[in-house]
Amino acid sequence: MNEIIIDALGEACPVPLIKAQNAIKEMAVGDVLVLQVDHSCAMKNVPEWARKDGHNVEIEEVDDGEWEVIIEKA
Amino acid sequence: MARREKKVEEYDVVIIGGGAGGLTAGIYCGRAKLNTLLIEKSLVGGLATYTNDIENYPGFPEGSTGIGLMNLFQKQAKRFGVKFKLTDVKSVELEGEVKTVETFRTTYKAKVVIIATGGRPRVTGATNEEKFLFDKGISFCATCDAAANTGKDVLVIGSGDAAIEEGMFLTKFARKVYVSVMHDTGKMDCNEIAKEAALANPKMEFLWNTVVDSFEGDDYLDSVVLKNLKTGDSQPLKVDECFEFIGYIPNTDIFKGQIDLTKQGYVLGNEQMETNIEGVYVVGDVKEKFLKQVATAVGDGAIAGFATEKYIAESEMFHDQIIGGEITGVVYVYNAADAKSRELLTVIQELEEDNTDKFRVTRVDVYKSLGLANRLGIKEFPCVAVIKEGKVDKYIKNITKEEILASI
Repeated sequence: MNEIIIDALGEACPVPLIKAQNAIKEMAVGDVLVLQVDHSCAMKNVPEWARKDGHNVEIEEVDDGEWEVIIEKA
Repeated sequence: MARREKKVEEYDVVIIGGGAGGLTAGIYCGRAKLNTLLIEKSLVGGLATYTNDIENYPGFPEGSTGIGLMNLFQKQAKRFGVKFKLTDVKSVELEGEVKTVETFRTTYKAKVVIIATGGRPRVTGATNEEKFLFDKGISFCATCDAAANTGKDVLVIGSGDAAIEEGMFLTKFARKVYVSVMHDTGKMDCNEIAKEAALANPKMEFLWNTVVDSFEGDDYLDSVVLKNLKTGDSQPLKVDECFEFIGYIPNTDIFKGQIDLTKQGYVLGNEQMETNIEGVYVVGDVKEKFLKQVATAVGDGAIAGFATEKYIAESEMFHDQIIGGEITGVVYVYNAADAKSRELLTVIQELEEDNTDKFRVTRVDVYKSLGLANRLGIKEFPCVAVIKEGKVDKYIKNITKEEILASI
């Protein structure tokens, strides 16, 4: 199982979402994507998309207004 | 995040949902020194974070952004020790004294669960809608996607407060904002102030009596086919983005079959925010109620937080003092507002003084709360319950010393 970290800090929507979508295409089932974001809009559309596609999602608040969206490909 | 054994964590209270209602409940529970966890599926702040301007929340005369206001709520909850977990709840088990809340990696056990799950955007259900949701041309958040539509043509569906206010916000970026309204010319669901401002806005164009027939495009939305309800004609409208603001659906799928819901799926709760299950409360937009606002969610949260503290204290008292213990218990359940009840207090007092070694006496005043009486199964007061081996052995309605002593 691989873990891929993508730094989308400072990126506004829809960039973090597109980065996550492109990354997950290349991943195998069970692989984990850690997307680092600090734009609150990405906290809405990224988990929403990932769950809709059936992946498991958890989020860690790393700092005030900074998150890691952790997506396990299903 | 490798697969591993599920963790089990115990809390006094688990709040599901981090909008205004859930956060306020958290503030009250945290401040009452309850071990409190709030589970939010993505961004803390709930539906309020989708609104750019909150002008009617008291205490902010200049208004506030939704995100800004909700950040303050969260800060306050954190100050009182509320823990936050950002994940979605997969299932719940709400019956019984210990409730279970399952997430992807952890099982949470709690004495109280507060449902604060809010709702999600309603969609039109038109052809091809699924294909373009969220990032392919259909949005539910002007705050999120307005900037990306600078100089472009967009379509807003709906005429409620959210639709019109977000539509006005979009005019700051877009070249043209079309608004599809299903009602007759001039009739809108929003407040009058927003309506006047919108009708006077030169960038807004209203398409009356229309509903969406289908969404068209290859990878990304290219046009929306609008059907005129009066004429039956369908016309494609070329737009870069479509924003839907046509209401919300309560997030209650995981509670179906356990909690009483309305036909529309909202959770039924009383003025104390109690649901049909003891120890389960409901607050905010997911509750069936008259007005859904940050201000009303805050009121709900305060009540539920307060009720939670009372419920947990009552549970502890019930187990430790009333039905616990080795020796026989005598519980006098009375209403302090009732004269006969008060007179009998002296009888109970004498009985207790004469028999300290034989049984243990507890007084329960129902004037403040019926919770303990309900747990004992007592509906009429005054009444004495005799407790043996952790259970009610006998109820005595004709309260005299002799009657009670005969039942010990």
